[in-house]
Amino acid sequence: MKKYIQHIFLFVLLITFISCDDPIDVDLEEAAPRLVIEASIDWEQGTAGNNQTVKLSLSTPFFDNSSDSSVTGASVKVTNNNTSAEFIFTDQNDGTYTTNSFIPILNNSYTLEVIYNSEVYIATETMTPVTGINEVFQSLEGGFDEELLDINITYDDPQEFGNYYMIRLQEVGDLFPIIETRSDEFTNGNVQDEFFEKDDDDDDPDNQFDPGDAVNIKLFGISERYYNYITLLVEQYDSAGNPFATTPAEIRGNCINLTNTDNYAFGYFRVTEFDQVDYTFE
Amino acid sequence: MKNSLVCLCLLMTTFLFAQEKFSVSGTIKDKKNGETLFGATVYLKGTTNGAVTNEYGFYSLTAPAGNYTLVVSFLGYEDVTQEIILNVDQTLNFEITEASTSLETVVIEAEESERVSIRKPQMSVSKLNAATIKQMPVVLGEVDVIKSIQLLPGVTNSGEGTAGFNVRGGAADQNLVLLDEAIIYNTSHFFGFFSVFNADAIKDIKLYKGDIPAKFGGRISSVLDVRQKDGNSKNLEINGGVGLISSRLAVEGPMFNKKGSFLVAGRSSYAHLFLPLIEELADDKISFYDLNLKTNYEINENNRIYLSGYFGRDIFDISQFIKNRYGNASANLRWNHVFNEKLFSNLSFIYSEYDYEVILDFIKLDWISDIKNFNLKYDLRYYANNNLKLDFGVSGITYDFNPGEVRPSDPSSSINFITLDQKRAFEGAAYISAEHELTDKLTAQYGLRLSYFNRLGGQAISNYANDQPVVYNEQIGIYEEGEEISTTDYSKSESIKDFANLEPRLGLSYQLNENSSVKASYTRSVQYVHLLSNTISVTPLDVWTPSGEYIDPQKSNQYAVGYYRNFKDKTYSVEVEAYYKNVDNRIDYVDGSDLIGNNNIETEILNGEARAYGLELLLRKDKGKFKGWLAYTLSKSEQRALGGNAGGPGINRGDWYNTPFDRTHDISVTASYDFNEKWRFSANFAYQTGRPVTFPNAQYQYEGLSIASFDQRNANRLPDYHRLDFSATYTPTKNKNRRWQSEWVFGVYNAYARRNAASISFTQDFDTGINEARRLSIFGSVIPSITYNFKF
Repeated sequence: MKKYIQHIFLFVLLITFISCDDPIDVDLEEAAPRLVIEASIDWEQGTAGNNQTVKLSLSTPFFDNSSDSSVTGASVKVTNNNTSAEFIFTDQNDGTYTTNSFIPILNNSYTLEVIYNSEVYIATETMTPVTGINEVFQSLEGGFDEELLDINITYDDPQEFGNYYMIRLQEVGDLFPIIETRSDEFTNGNVQDEFFEKDDDDDDPDNQFDPGDAVNIKLFGISERYYNYITLLVEQYDSAGNPFATTPAEIRGNCINLTNTDNYAFGYFRVTEFDQVDYTFE
Repeated sequence: MKNSLVCLCLLMTTFLFAQEKFSVSGTIKDKKNGETLFGATVYLKGTTNGAVTNEYGFYSLTAPAGNYTLVVSFLGYEDVTQEIILNVDQTLNFEITEASTSLETVVIEAEESERVSIRKPQMSVSKLNAATIKQMPVVLGEVDVIKSIQLLPGVTNSGEGTAGFNVRGGAADQNLVLLDEAIIYNTSHFFGFFSVFNADAIKDIKLYKGDIPAKFGGRISSVLDVRQKDGNSKNLEINGGVGLISSRLAVEGPMFNKKGSFLVAGRSSYAHLFLPLIEELADDKISFYDLNLKTNYEINENNRIYLSGYFGRDIFDISQFIKNRYGNASANLRWNHVFNEKLFSNLSFIYSEYDYEVILDFIKLDWISDIKNFNLKYDLRYYANNNLKLDFGVSGITYDFNPGEVRPSDPSSSINFITLDQKRAFEGAAYISAEHELTDKLTAQYGLRLSYFNRLGGQAISNYANDQPVVYNEQIGIYEEGEEISTTDYSKSESIKDFANLEPRLGLSYQLNENSSVKASYTRSVQYVHLLSNTISVTPLDVWTPSGEYIDPQKSNQYAVGYYRNFKDKTYSVEVEAYYKNVDNRIDYVDGSDLIGNNNIETEILNGEARAYGLELLLRKDKGKFKGWLAYTLSKSEQRALGGNAGGPGINRGDWYNTPFDRTHDISVTASYDFNEKWRFSANFAYQTGRPVTFPNAQYQYEGLSIASFDQRNANRLPDYHRLDFSATYTPTKNKNRRWQSEWVFGVYNAYARRNAASISFTQDFDTGINEARRLSIFGSVIPSITYNFKF
């Protein structure tokens, strides 16, 4: 909602005036590398959820597009705080750490422990359930542009307040996913709908959804804290520098460094349930 | 402060014993159109006895009995002299004529009037009249009050396409903007491209950057006092113009047997007419319009009634998915009453409103918010004697805040009805101030304002665990919402919280010689309502909120000193001012704060402070064919917010950081040259240090995206901003005596096509995945314009 409104203002500004947008060189400060923990324990509905991966990497200077930042040699472990079950993740020497014995239990609390360079990082999160995707359909109406195809999903929001969602769309062949977040602040207890539409772009005639395009949509149930985190992260990713955006800030996740507090890690330890659907435009 | 009150009382008693004196008072008007003249000087030749007309053209001066030559003088007008025998109190009204050749018309005046500007203790003030503003080159030919004041020292804004303006490092919501005394909450159309003030309806504007007189209050940075024309009381007059963006028409003329006059002015954009030409925008509607009204009636010599109004709207309909409407409305009914030669009064009853609506069809949401206020005020001016003038009065404002109502825009919507807490408040004030000539050389202006604010009930207030609406999460190092443990219901008859503050104001002027003076001032001011905005630019959606349980009033102290000098027979003048100000209780927003639709704003803010200091230089040339000014400002504006009750170090680790309004250097030059009877050329040049922004210092991979990581707030800067504009005005002269007069204005904005950055974004190329910095320029090229103005 907030994001839409910021975009409206920018949109109006841009179409109304003779604006231009071009790349420029900027000198930036380079901060010391920091550990990045992408520990996304996601359990797909109807599966066992035993296979899980944690990714570790280091932050790099902003314009450094080349260096390999993956972190190897760390130890990664997740503990179920309700059952005390421990799951050790194995270093795959490419920055990923995997297990095939994870046992997901909804609403149980889990703790992640990462030991890297003799420093101990931990984070705690509760596995958040999700209702599941009701239907998926394509349409012309309802989106921003009535001539462009959009894809819609619907899902139910439970009666009590305080449900949070992340919806991640990945088109086959695209480099990047599109991520949206939702809270039930304005829509509690109702059937929720979510649509995605891609702009038509003069530089890239294939940008918009066309018949034959295949997409994957995942709907995650997420915690309030993760909602705050990922909403801000996506908002800054999409609109940093938009004059109507909020002042960007460093985004702190839930991973803390027990050995050296100031050397906290970026990233997040999330534990979610999700539903997914694949769809090919007709 | 007590001392000055005592001093005042003593002075009052001494009048009783002074030698026999008489007063002369009256109104000064323009002979041609009957407009009252504000700032005209009336003085007795050969003495230091003088007075300046107030905003209703009224003057009063007192002198010992005797024979005098009375002179009425106003820049750009011919002097009028009259012999008077002062042996009885008398009324003398004058109508003065504009200086004969229009070429000689001097249109730049900053409270200029003979000796008075040097002598007057009032400092940090600039006055511009509509003619000056109309001469400045502007973007797309739209004459703009807000843009013109940005050429003055100490006044900036956040760049093209941003609303509002910033005075001496203050935020946009710290400016009290008055249109015929009514508070205007949003000063711009089109997100800041155009101002809401139609220059055809404006008589003059006055900007107080500091040393704010005690009769104004409620905002801590500045007062922009915009006055509408009364309307021509002699003849029917029609002014109009056709430009690229909008057309204007103003009709004014006498009413009630020339006992009164009226003004109706309208302006409407027609960008929506052009949109259908572009296929993609065929369904869109983007426009604004506004309407100014004024009428007045002179009941008799001592009583006059004014009614003025304003209504403006912005409309954006983008395809079928967004409908956006917002605007101000205001009305003011005034009664001027002259009790006697020495006592002038004005009673005003004022209404103002700002409302905003957006309908997002694609999520079927309809959002409304507004702020409304009624204001009753009574201002009096007592011309005690030649050395002492007193202003005093009272004011009461009632506010209704509707921070937001959300409703489904059609029955199939998944949106629920939600109404955020409706807030109510009362703001009262009483003030007295004196303009006092202590000696021949030393003049003082001292006053005291007592302000009172009551946050009224009629809503529930949340209570938080440990009384902490915001809590620092030590482990993660972020500020989070506090835990709400209960709510307290306040009925409409209850008060949630009230505040009272004394606001002393003091100004001193010491005249060094006939052409130069030094001045010093101290202003304390308090602001009880705040605009919630955590974005880089103020947006039309930002809502106002009153002080109360969790938000304290902003309090500012400003100290300023200045040096003023006229030289070369007042052809040139120089003003140098230095200021320092600090602000307590400036609210600041925690990282990632979400204000839209938030009923508990207190969970997103910390109580901060701000400070600003600077040096301003203004060099003007006021006479001759070549006129203009050069303004230079060197300044600093910073803020910080410590953790306080919420714990933790605070925002930006508790360090001071640049406000978005910090500009180290700010240079403005504006000049006009009267080439001949037909052609006049004008130019502006502006240079500013780039706006403080926050750049990333690292990136990392998350969810398949390259995430930029940001560091200290506002520690970086956009590239410096600079721009040059020209305009040329062509006035056909072949039918000079015809009633129909017209002119063509040709303009070039951003003459050397500088791509000034409105923002720099750090993004990832969608096709290659490579990180890059991109500059957004609102005007990437030269913007030409043409406007046709007429008058008959």
